[in-house]
Amino acid sequence: MTTSKVVFNNFLRFFLLILIQVLILNNIYLGGFINPYFYVYFILLLPYEIPGGLLLLLSFLVGAGVDIFTNTIGLNTSACLAMGYARPHIIRLISSGPDSLIGDSPSLKNQGLKWFLYYSISLILIHHFVLFYLEAFRFTEFFKTFIRIALSSMFTLLLVLISEYLFYPKEK
Amino acid sequence: MRNLLVFLRKHYFILLFLLLEAVSLILFFNFNEFQNTAMYGISSTFTGAIYRTFRNISEYFSLRKTNQTLVEEMARLHSRLPDAYYKSDAYSFYRNDTVYQLQYRYISAKVISNSTDKRNNFLMISKGSLQGVRNHMGVIIGNRIVGQVVSVSPHFSWIISMLNKDSKISGKFKKNNQLVNVEWPGGNYRYGSVKEVPKHVRIQEGDTIITSGNSDIFPEGILIGTISEFTVVPDENFNYGTILFSTDFNSLGYVEIVVDLMRKEKEDLKATFKSE
Repeated sequence: MTTSKVVFNNFLRFFLLILIQVLILNNIYLGGFINPYFYVYFILLLPYEIPGGLLLLLSFLVGAGVDIFTNTIGLNTSACLAMGYARPHIIRLISSGPDSLIGDSPSLKNQGLKWFLYYSISLILIHHFVLFYLEAFRFTEFFKTFIRIALSSMFTLLLVLISEYLFYPKEK
Repeated sequence: MRNLLVFLRKHYFILLFLLLEAVSLILFFNFNEFQNTAMYGISSTFTGAIYRTFRNISEYFSLRKTNQTLVEEMARLHSRLPDAYYKSDAYSFYRNDTVYQLQYRYISAKVISNSTDKRNNFLMISKGSLQGVRNHMGVIIGNRIVGQVVSVSPHFSWIISMLNKDSKISGKFKKNNQLVNVEWPGGNYRYGSVKEVPKHVRIQEGDTIITSGNSDIFPEGILIGTISEFTVVPDENFNYGTILFSTDFNSLGYVEIVVDLMRKEKEDLKATFKSE
């Protein structure tokens, strides 16, 4: 893929995912304990070769984009930054070497289910941990918040996997 | 100086991360004070327009519910018209009621964004300072409680919902006027908690809790909910209860903002007392 196409795809994904998050997912009520934050898919799908500074800046922007809609300035931003910071470390940790990374950006098709699960679960958990504990910010609700994190992460992961299978199907 | 540059280049990733994280945390903790910040005014013009476009489409799906609310409200108002009262010919008399002055006025507004599943929920409505909405005004639907205005721009307002960890409503039992605080502990949006119920107050399931009118935000007698569960704590001075909210926060289409015309008078009175 050419660089301009990668930039265009990510640009489009940026706005689309923010709109899906604030207009649809934030309005669906799932029992009070499940809040999927599917927009983190944007950070998951950024190219491997992205410079560190740009990665952090884009994480900041996507978090702030959601925050201005939900009147929670800084909440999603902090969570996304933590996720963006952890991303290169996680990739290094779970890959056997730079040669094992196929294609421009992480995908289930190229890396296989196991790698992709490790990758997305750990990053989604980091994001949700920061977000939910900052949001509650009370020690008395420690376990309740913990349950919310577990359930919401599962739901976010489910949405990520569904879109991986939908938009990047395996070639037969 | 050279060493510093080398250091910066080597560790720029973590340094940039710490800097940005610090910025966003500072913003998070300062913005949570519910002040009308300049940033809000700029962003809400943009986000409000997007929410409104989406809401214009999605409101068709809740027309049935909106209708039902309006019909209920109309029935309530009809029952207060002079025609609804029994008129006795034999003992008719005229009572001059000009001493009763109008205290509350209501502004109706459309809800253009709402949530019930976060720990801290907010609503955005389509009326702002140009229509007379001001900070700290109460928000109700029918005669049920919704929340409080926390931020106003010319065309939109943010409302902190009852479903927020910073919402603490002063309520009272309808039957005996005992004051209690109502909060939302998170989780299910239908249930809140009633704290600090004195030991001597007898509570039964189904007891109605209404606003106390002590807070200058809501008029007295706005419905908060009914007691659904009650716990007696043997070793403490207070008991706790669970309250089923009268408001269905998940289906708010239109709300009313309470304008207290005597608020300034009340505030001035308080101010003179403080300054002396």
